[in-house]
Order: sequence, then C-alpha cells, then structure tokens
Amino acid sequence: MIEFKEAAVVAPDSGVPILEPTTLTLTEDRISIIGANGSGKSTLARLINGLVLPVTGSVEVDGLDTQKNGAQVRRKVGYLFTDPSAQLIMPTGVEDVALSLRRVIKNRKEREEAAMAALKEIGLAAKADVSVNALSGGQRQLLALAGVLACTPEIVVADEPTTLLDLRWRAHVGALLRSLPLQVIEVTHDLDSAARAERTLVVDLGRVVFDGDPKEAVGIYRDLMFGRATQGATA
Amino acid sequence: MISLLGLYRPRRTPLHRAPVWFKMLLLLGISITTIAVSDPVTTIGITAACLLLLASTLPPLKATLKGMAFIIVIAALTTLFQLWRGEYVRALDLAGDLISIAALALAITSSTSMGAMLDFITTLATPLKWILPPETIGVMVSLTLRSIPEAARILTEARVAARARGLDRDVRAILFPSASRTVGFALQLGQALHARGIAEHGRAAKATPRPAPQGDDAVAPVLPSPPVREAVPGDPENSTS
Repeated sequence: MIEFKEAAVVAPDSGVPILEPTTLTLTEDRISIIGANGSGKSTLARLINGLVLPVTGSVEVDGLDTQKNGAQVRRKVGYLFTDPSAQLIMPTGVEDVALSLRRVIKNRKEREEAAMAALKEIGLAAKADVSVNALSGGQRQLLALAGVLACTPEIVVADEPTTLLDLRWRAHVGALLRSLPLQVIEVTHDLDSAARAERTLVVDLGRVVFDGDPKEAVGIYRDLMFGRATQGATA
Repeated sequence: MISLLGLYRPRRTPLHRAPVWFKMLLLLGISITTIAVSDPVTTIGITAACLLLLASTLPPLKATLKGMAFIIVIAALTTLFQLWRGEYVRALDLAGDLISIAALALAITSSTSMGAMLDFITTLATPLKWILPPETIGVMVSLTLRSIPEAARILTEARVAARARGLDRDVRAILFPSASRTVGFALQLGQALHARGIAEHGRAAKATPRPAPQGDDAVAPVLPSPPVREAVPGDPENSTS
C-alpha cells in the first residue's frame, strides 16, 4: 500500500511548488497517472520510490517512509524510466540485469544464470550478449524492465515507458506491464492505456484534480487540455 | 576507441577462461618487459605472442581491425620519425612496444566480461573501503566506460543539429548543447542508479535478500515473444532477431 500524507514538493532554488500537498492511498493493482507536460505527474511517481523526497508531509510504502527507509523502499519499488538508454549501465543485456542482482546474489555465475532467466522470461534471451547500443528502442525498454523485474519488486512505477516507442513496441510493452502480477503505476500520455487501469489520477498544475474512474478521468483530462487550447487560441 | 568497448563476446577460449587477476598481471608483466627490454628479437617475439593471444580470443574482426588500425598508424608515425633520426633498433622497439601492449589490452577486453571486470575492481578496491565502498568504485569504472559511447553519440547529434541550422563551422553550436546534454545524461544515469538501488553508500551490501516468490506467487511467464525488430545497419547480431 502506498500512502501520500500531505506530501508536497517545491523547486529547490525558486521555491515554486511542483506538487501541492497531496494525500492519497493507492491500493489498486493498476493505476494510471495522466496530465500535461510539466504538470507534476512524474514528480508524483518519483515520490513513490524516493527518487524525489517530499519537502513537507511524507510518502510511505507498506509503512516504510521514503525519507527514512529509502533503500528498503527501492527494494520494494522498481522504477522504469521513459528513456531506457539512461537506465542501462553495462555493455550487454545479461550484464546489465546481473548488475541489478549484485546486491542479492554474490556469486557471479549464479547471478548471470538468474539474469539470463530474467531475460528469457521477458523474451530477450537471444539478445543477452548483444551490446545495448545495438538494441532497438523497444528492446532496450524491455531490457530495462527485465533489470527492474529481476529484483522481484512488489510495485513497478513506469514513467511514460512507451513514449519513445513505435506502435508495435508500445503495444508489446503495454501488454507486458498489464500482465505483471504486481502493483503497476503507470505515468502515461497514452489515453487508451490509461483507460485500462483500475484507477486514474489526473494531475494538473501540481495538483491531483481528479482521482477515480479511468474513463471519466480521460474525459476530464481531454476537457482540461482542449479547454486550455481554446483559451490560448482566443486570448 | 568507441568500437572497442563492445568487443567482448562470450567464448570458451583459454583467455576467456583465465581469471581476471591473471590477465591483468599478464598485461602488467608484458608492459614492464616491453618497456625494459629493447632487444629486437625479444621485441619481435613478444609482439608476435601478443598478436597470437589476441587472435586466440576470436574477437569480432571489424571492430578489432578498427581498434588496431589507430595504434598501427601511431606506431608507423613513431617508426618513421625514429628511422629519420637513424635509430633503427629504437624504431623497431617502439613500434613493437605499442602494438604488443595494444594487442594484449584488446585480447583482455575481448575475453573479459564487464561483470568479471567489475568483480575484479571491487575486490581490488577493498582496501579503500574506508574511503569509498568498493562496489561504488567498481560501478564508477563501469559508468565511465558506459559514458564514452554516449558522449560520442551526443557530440555526433549536436554536430548534425548544428549542420542542419547552417552552423557547422560554429564550435559553440556544437560544444554548448553537447556539454548540457552530457550533464543531463549524467543526471539521468544518476537517477537510474538511485532508482535501481545500486551503490547506495554500501548499504546495498548489507541488504537482506528477499526470497524469490515460489509456487503460486511466482511471476507468471510473460508474453510469448517480442516484436521482431527492424534491421539495424552494422548490427552483427541482426540475424538472431
């Protein structure tokens, strides 16, 4: 269970609020977060695994405070970035997944076997020894996901995981995320994907302006965006 | 140099099976010997042995030739300079030294996985654990290697973007965006490390592993197979797609 208790974030230098005090309890297995660019949705997602810490209030994952128990929280919460290139550190896929496993499996051979198993499960076994630079964007995103899943997290937070992908990879990665037997929180601009969640949060100007039924949330988000576009055109 | 970073291929050659410490010791020993000894016969012998060692690791031909070509050009220029000065033995010695050390370094690169190298560096850095956790030092080395091709990619993209704007002769139009994007990449990489819980000030090493889910709780097999990727020019593994 993820609990936001009046969690707020401000820009470090200017003090401009990025996320207004937010109180939420997230228990559903599939949650989507939608909103305009710069609305604060990624900040909201990053609060969950302690990548961003609240200035006031707190965020807890299964009772663990992200501020006090950051390392433990990150073992529970895997994070998938938009650009997998920034997430991949080692030269080949199998080595990259093995890097994620270093803290739990000390023996290199066992670690590589576990990494290989993770790649096999995700359908990337054939690319295990290929340079990460030679993989397509979709394959890199799968590899990044394999690195996250290899650590057996209980929650996966995916920050626009399909934004940089073409249609077929978008469908594949989207289906893969939906099939995970874990709690998945996806920040997305893909409204179809957002509508498939159990619960959707709409973030606008640093506030959660809607929290509830995904289809209703998508409608509200569209109204917000098109309303703003109309205002902009007539101003 | 960039192409060399993808040299490693898993194989069963003797050098692949040799422990990393042995390979590093070999590199150190050969480097000292080549510098200390200037006898032409010994130089030729060591150079031939190093080239044979490199060939024995069955490295990818194109990338290896590309890497060696640079060294051979440097060696040729050095040799020509020494010949011009009339120092024939020195010319042979310098060229031999350069080629043998480069060939041996390539042989080690092509036969050692980054994981094995990371383990070696981590072990080597253990005495420094009071300053920085050994794991962190190992990750730092990996990150440095990882960043080289990325920095080169950013520089190439900045050059193309500058050309598209008709600013290909303006150094600032290439360097400023390259510098800011490189810093951006470093920040993203740092966040990714943080998110993955890698090298978290040594706390990771003390982490208690959570048991992998068993039985009904085990992760169900995911989708059958990912989409077949499009052909990428120069990707030697394309055929496996």
